[in-house]
Amino acid sequence: MKGDKLTAWSFNEIFAEIQRVWTSQLLSQRTLEHLYMFAIALFFSFLAGVLIGVLTYRNPRFADPIFNSLNIVETIPDIALLVLLLPVFGIGKTPTIVASILYSILPIARNTYTGLSNVPGEHIEIAEALGLTRREILFKIRFPLSLPLIAGGIRIAVVFTMGVVTLGGLIAAGGLGAALQNGIQLYDMGTILVTGIWIGILAVLLDGAAGLIEHILQVRYGK
Amino acid sequence: MILTAELLQATLEHLVLTYTALTAGILVTIPLIFLSLYSARLASMIMRFASLVQAVPSFAVVAFIVPLIGIGFMPAVLAIMLRVLLPTIKNTYIGLFNVDSTLIEASKGIGLTDFQILKHIRLPNAYPAIFAGIKFAAILANSIAVLTALIGGGGLGPIIFEGLTNFNTVKILTGVLPVIGIALFLDFSFSRIEQRLTPEYLRK
Amino acid sequence: MISGKLFERIESLRLENVTKKYGENFAVRNLNLEIKGGELLILIGKSGSGKTTVLRMMNRLIEPDSGSISINGIDIRKFDPIRLRRNTGYVIQNIGLLPHLRVSGNIGLIPKLEGWKEEKIQERIQDLLNFVSLPPQVFTDRYPHELSGGQQQRVGLARAMVMSPPLFLMDEPFGALDSLLRAQLQDEFYRIKKELGRTIVFVTHDINEAFRLGDRIAIIDNSELVQVGTPQELIFSPSSNLVAEIVDSKRKYRHIDALKVKDLAQPLDKRYILDSGLSAASVLDHMSAEGLEIALVFDSPENSGRVGLTDVMKAVSSGKSLDEALKPLPLFSPETPLLEALLRLKTGGGSIGLVLENDKPGGILFSDRILQNLV
Ligand SMILES: Nc1ncnc2c1ncn2[C@@H]1O[C@H](COP(=O)(O)OP(=O)(O)OP(=O)(O)O)[C@@H](O)[C@H]1O
Ligand SMILES: [Mg+2]
Repeated sequence: MKGDKLTAWSFNEIFAEIQRVWTSQLLSQRTLEHLYMFAIALFFSFLAGVLIGVLTYRNPRFADPIFNSLNIVETIPDIALLVLLLPVFGIGKTPTIVASILYSILPIARNTYTGLSNVPGEHIEIAEALGLTRREILFKIRFPLSLPLIAGGIRIAVVFTMGVVTLGGLIAAGGLGAALQNGIQLYDMGTILVTGIWIGILAVLLDGAAGLIEHILQVRYGK
Repeated sequence: MILTAELLQATLEHLVLTYTALTAGILVTIPLIFLSLYSARLASMIMRFASLVQAVPSFAVVAFIVPLIGIGFMPAVLAIMLRVLLPTIKNTYIGLFNVDSTLIEASKGIGLTDFQILKHIRLPNAYPAIFAGIKFAAILANSIAVLTALIGGGGLGPIIFEGLTNFNTVKILTGVLPVIGIALFLDFSFSRIEQRLTPEYLRK
Repeated sequence: MISGKLFERIESLRLENVTKKYGENFAVRNLNLEIKGGELLILIGKSGSGKTTVLRMMNRLIEPDSGSISINGIDIRKFDPIRLRRNTGYVIQNIGLLPHLRVSGNIGLIPKLEGWKEEKIQERIQDLLNFVSLPPQVFTDRYPHELSGGQQQRVGLARAMVMSPPLFLMDEPFGALDSLLRAQLQDEFYRIKKELGRTIVFVTHDINEAFRLGDRIAIIDNSELVQVGTPQELIFSPSSNLVAEIVDSKRKYRHIDALKVKDLAQPLDKRYILDSGLSAASVLDHMSAEGLEIALVFDSPENSGRVGLTDVMKAVSSGKSLDEALKPLPLFSPETPLLEALLRLKTGGGSIGLVLENDKPGGILFSDRILQNLV
């Protein structure tokens, strides 16, 4: 049933439609592709973001130039960033992952930097008085105390990454965005609806999971 | 450049699309301010819903419009507006309700009505956050306006996607550079306005 | 491993001509002060007078602009600051528990960094929690925000004690607590202080706390030391009006004529009262079990006496009877004027008297308690 009009469907028809789209658009495989790109991109954004956060904290004079540049990247629309990378990386998964990383570094790096720099002075003072070295203060006090904020940055990155990875469908990266584009090109309402809702559910779940971690950290530290 | 006239036309279209959707988004946000006056709970529910949906990728939102109302300029405006609403609503809410509760108590204590509290305490406090939301929304609108080319919204998007299908780098750049230009312009101009509008005591 | 003990015991902690300026303003000005090993020295003064600054210079959180600080004759600039701090117990003005660590994590932080074995750390944590009267099975795994203010303060104290430092620096440790809790913790701390037998520099701006806990009191005003001495010295010979005002001797002592024994007697604690005719050995058992330094024997006004723990020990070891170890015990009626009672206590050479109501023990009078209560 390839409907071009939205009419009242029975439960069975809906179920049959979901099944049709799921198999014809290979949604299982698309989902795996999607999550694969998502995981790789998020992992490297996390590494790079925390690293940049720590480095800018250690060398605050680099903070402004680095964050200003990242801010410009952030201002460029994600779709524009994606196509700009084409001449360098060609089409497919690589430019999609690279664009996701470029986009997601900023929230993680900025939150890491803000977290590390803004640990309340009283905690630092007591750590110094207890006899912790600078390095120990960084790793045992500043870093753990910044975790809720860093988790908040990761949560933003999760949303960004999900968005860019979905756009990857437009440049032959596969993933669920590809199914969505198929739906639009074939003007297939069922495909658009099923894929769109499925992407929405995944995105909300991942965002919720990240939010839960953030919340747990906040509660643990009594905020 | 080969397509000067066409490019100018497309850029104009793009701007119209962006600003129409942005204005619509802001206009829809305003009632929320008054809603929050009457029911903090309802406002909080809207806010929760908004931040939930904010996680949904723009591409999915844009595609989703098609089964609902079809393709063309108006669906494109609606798609952008829906996506743009989220940050403005969220920031408005945060701004209005993140006021020191003792300040609110004190204001009630000296006999301000709810409306007066909104006008004199909550709104001034919410101002920077609301504006930051609008700035973010403007940049987002410009970005999604590219995507809405997929559902017949016009603007600069069609040039980019045409370039994509033909592997025509020049064409891609012809479409992308104005988009980036608009983004930087929006960022710059809104930052300037933001600075102007920020009350003296809140400036860094 | 950064620490090893820098010193087993503090013989002296000496500040010579220490000055610290912030911009044009003196925070501490030309301070000379010697703290003796084992004493609890109080630093007292108004807000902003420089107390915290003095304390922070002692473990090199900040360095003086001029002058020197030495421990056991060694300039502390010779010590690695990290090591010095791990040899110093620091309790901070606003408690300062680290919010991301459980009680065990807060207390065990430094031992962990020092590479202690896990079991040893756990054991130490249990001991310390018991020591500060927090049952370990309840509190070990709590986060700071799950503790009351008083409990947090105890954990802060336990944390400062974990490395068994010979020196404690305490910056208004009870400042954040309400007055009832403060009094209770002061009492506990008084006990702990004796058991620790460590050198303590203790900042407060509460004169009652100072008199209650301090061996000596240093009064700081406007970045300068005004006077240092025992509570008695400050009360009876204040060097200036300011000191007199701070110890408030005039106002409080005006009322002493009017006071009677009953006004300042402590309620009777039965543990202190013994029957005559007990053997010295059983009395020793009783006293050690109850943790008493002194006990009173009372059958009738004619047959009474007091005895100290060391007297009883001597009696036991030399096989004497309890009666032979007894010293005279001053007896008062509740209506006895306080001044008269103080005089009799002083001439009798003791510091404790029994208050009789209808010829039965009804209360106890401690001379040092009187002093504390008066000021
Ligand atoms: N880091 C600093 N920078 C500038 N001035 C300071 C600094 N630390 C302390 N001061 C000043 O030095 C003086 C002494 O401060 P200090 O903290 O030692 O006072 P305090 O006696 O501990 O006061 P309180 O009872 O309020 O804790 C104050 O006037 C204070 O403003
Ligand atoms: Mg202080």
